[in-house]
Formats: sequence, C-alpha cells, structure tokens
Amino acid sequence: MTDGDRQPPGALPTGRLRGVRGARGAHGPSPKLDDLLADVARGDEQAYEGVYDLAAGWVLGVARKVLRDPAMAEEVMQEVMLEVWRRASRFDPALGSGTAWVMTLAHRRAVDRVRSERSHSDRELRAATAVIDYDDVTEAVEASLERERVQRCLASLTALQRESVSLAYYGGYTYAEVAELLGVPAGTVKTRMRDGLVKLRDCLGVQR
Amino acid sequence: MTSGDPDLHTLAGAYVLDAVSADERARFAAHLAGCAACRAEIGELREAAASLGTARAVRPRPELRESTIRAAHRTGQFAPVIAGKQHITRRRRAAGRSRAIRAAAAAAAVIAVAAGVAAGTHYADQQGRQQPFTVSAVLSAPDAVMRSAPVSTGGMAIVVASGREHMGVFIAHGLPPLPRASSYELWLMGPAGERPAGLLRIHRNGMAGPALISGMSAGDMVGLTVEPATGSLKPTSEPVVMIG
Repeated sequence: MTDGDRQPPGALPTGRLRGVRGARGAHGPSPKLDDLLADVARGDEQAYEGVYDLAAGWVLGVARKVLRDPAMAEEVMQEVMLEVWRRASRFDPALGSGTAWVMTLAHRRAVDRVRSERSHSDRELRAATAVIDYDDVTEAVEASLERERVQRCLASLTALQRESVSLAYYGGYTYAEVAELLGVPAGTVKTRMRDGLVKLRDCLGVQR
Repeated sequence: MTSGDPDLHTLAGAYVLDAVSADERARFAAHLAGCAACRAEIGELREAAASLGTARAVRPRPELRESTIRAAHRTGQFAPVIAGKQHITRRRRAAGRSRAIRAAAAAAAVIAVAAGVAAGTHYADQQGRQQPFTVSAVLSAPDAVMRSAPVSTGGMAIVVASGREHMGVFIAHGLPPLPRASSYELWLMGPAGERPAGLLRIHRNGMAGPALISGMSAGDMVGLTVEPATGSLKPTSEPVVMIG
C-alpha cells in the first residue's frame, strides 16, 4: 500500500472559518487522533498541535528504540511529525487507525535511517547490536500499563516468533538479516514474523 | 490473500515490520493494490505492530514542540482530492482551439465548481461531516488574481491566488498523462524557498484540480514538476510550468 494515495475528499478551511467550528469535543479517547487528523488534512493548525501532543512521544519512542541515538531520534521524530502534517489528507480511517498510520510512517522512517547508518559500519558491529536488542527486548519493563500489556503479549509468542518480530521492529533488521543472526532459514523467519504478529493482534484484541 | 505468487503472500508480516528490502517493499505494495483481502490483513497486523511502538513512548523535550509545530505551519500540505469533478468532466477538448480559449474553458470550470458551492453544494468527508468547499473562498476573495500559462509538455495551467487568504487554487487541463511510477507535484517557489504543495491528480479527461494551495506568501510562484509517484520533498526535475 502506498500509504499515501488514498485520501478523503476535503478542503482547507480559511482562518476565518476555523473559529466557527469549535464544537469538537474531548469525547471518546481513541477516535480522537483520527478526528484530529481529518482536521489537519484541512490545514487546521490547532488540530495539529493536538496531534503532536498525542503522537510525538510515540514517534520519538520508536525512533529511539530503533536508532539508539537520542539526537538522531529527535531528528527523525521531527521529520515524521512534519510528514504527518503534509500527508494528513492521505490518512484514510477506512484502512486503519490514525495511530497505526502515524506509527507506520514513524517506523519506516526510523528503519530507513538506521539502515543507511548501518551501511557504513561492518558486519560484526551489526551482530553485536542485534544481541543488545534481544536482551533489551526481553528485559523486564515496568513502566506504563500499555507497556506491560504489550510485554505480556510478546511473552505469549514462541521464542522464534518473538525474536523475529523484535529484531525486525525494534532492531530494524530485514527478515534476511534476522535469519542470518538467528541461524534459521529465511522462509522460516518470514512465516514466524507473520504468525507472531497475528498472535500479537489476537492477544492485544486489536479492533478495527 | 488470494492473488499473486505464494511467496509474496508470506511476506505480509515482514512487510508490516518493515523487514523487507526496498525492492520487496515495492513489489508487495503493488500486490496489495490489487488484493482487498491482503489490505485488510495488513491493516490489522499494522495495528498490532503499532502497539509495539506506542508501548515505548517517551516524552520529547518540551522545546521540540514549538519548533516542530512552527516548521509544519511553514510547510505546504498534500492537496486533498476534491469531489467536484462532475462539474468539469463533460468538457471536451477541441483540437483546433487556441490556448486562450482553453484557458478560458479551464477558468470556466473553476467557476462552475465554485458556483456549485454557492448553490449550497457541500462535500461530506469520510465521517459524513459537511465541510465548506473553500475553493470558493479563494475565488471570491476581493483580492483574487487569475493567471494562466502554457505547460511546456502540453496543456494549460491556471492559478487563482488571494494574498489575503494566503491561498491559491490550481487547475490545469490537457496535461499529458504520466506513467504509473510518476506524479505531478505542485510547489510553492519563492523567497521562502521551495515548499511542496501537494500531488496533482489527473482526471480521465485530462483535467487536473482544482487543488487548493495553502501557505502562499508574497513573491511565491506556483510550480509544477514531474516526481516519483509518492512525491518528493524537493523538486527533482525542472518545472513544466511556473505561474505567479
């Protein structure tokens, strides 16, 4: 999917019109980002501030995890949030939640960045960071409820599913690299990634 | 997942995790375009993958907030697709017509769309909410100025701009169709540099737009270039038309 080419019809409100529509409430927690994105698609600067407040922390979090460099992660977060502003009209709630849309942009950008950085370093270093990844992922975390829930669901995966999904998502490795790191055939890693995500989806009770 | 080779089918997980090569990403995206069941599956897996990320949220330094928001407001947005093409699809292109007449026809199309709005036509977004169709706000601005120019590769382009609204409306017709891998992209080009102003969708009859362009400032010209299908952050080719 080219995350981009499906777009709701809409138009930008003028500055004058913006003041008129005030009645967007603070009701319902989860659809809020979707609503805000629809407003951002029309150039609503105030709605964009709301989107930033909801999503910048997620974007920075995933960038930090994948890049492991705080300064680079901040750069990527700012780039992604700019992309969210630019591409808001491409967000289609029929295809998924606003959260998934933003996180898809964020993860892809972080992964592209880490791969271009890695292309300058050697293989041994890559193997080393992979091990760090794995340790980090399985270590006990006790922060938010969301974290605990995801951690619990990750723990319900088989070891190979969990390693495959984690190395890919948090480590930014391709399935071919994961296969090499784990000494498993590439075809196996591909199916474990899919099975792992399906299990994760069921465990998290992902709703569309 | 039904269509395509079975190898692609098993790539769904790796694709959602961005664990594929650029080449595989492109092949899988093409596969998705023709497979509704696959899109549904990808959608669900994406929600799960997103949770892996949101679970890792960290608080950004407060000073990043203002600089990011300010940068966004200086940046043009991808234009929304406008649902008003029924007003303009029946216009025929006569081969012998002069450019001036074509420009007039395109301008008439803009005005026809605006007239639909004046008559109370509103376009609902996907949540079913009614939105004002702000092309009319630009066209009816007291300081609106219309300029037209031939497109170097064929066709005519028109911009109606309002300095007061900091907005413009771009419309073109007779633009040559592009291969699937390419898109027309609009730009604001001026003292503030080059800013993307959205991809331009060509309708089947060669009409394009009306596309709203926001964030216009004094001295800005509107440019159109041919870019990769997903658009570019900076123009990668010479403009086929510049108006302003």
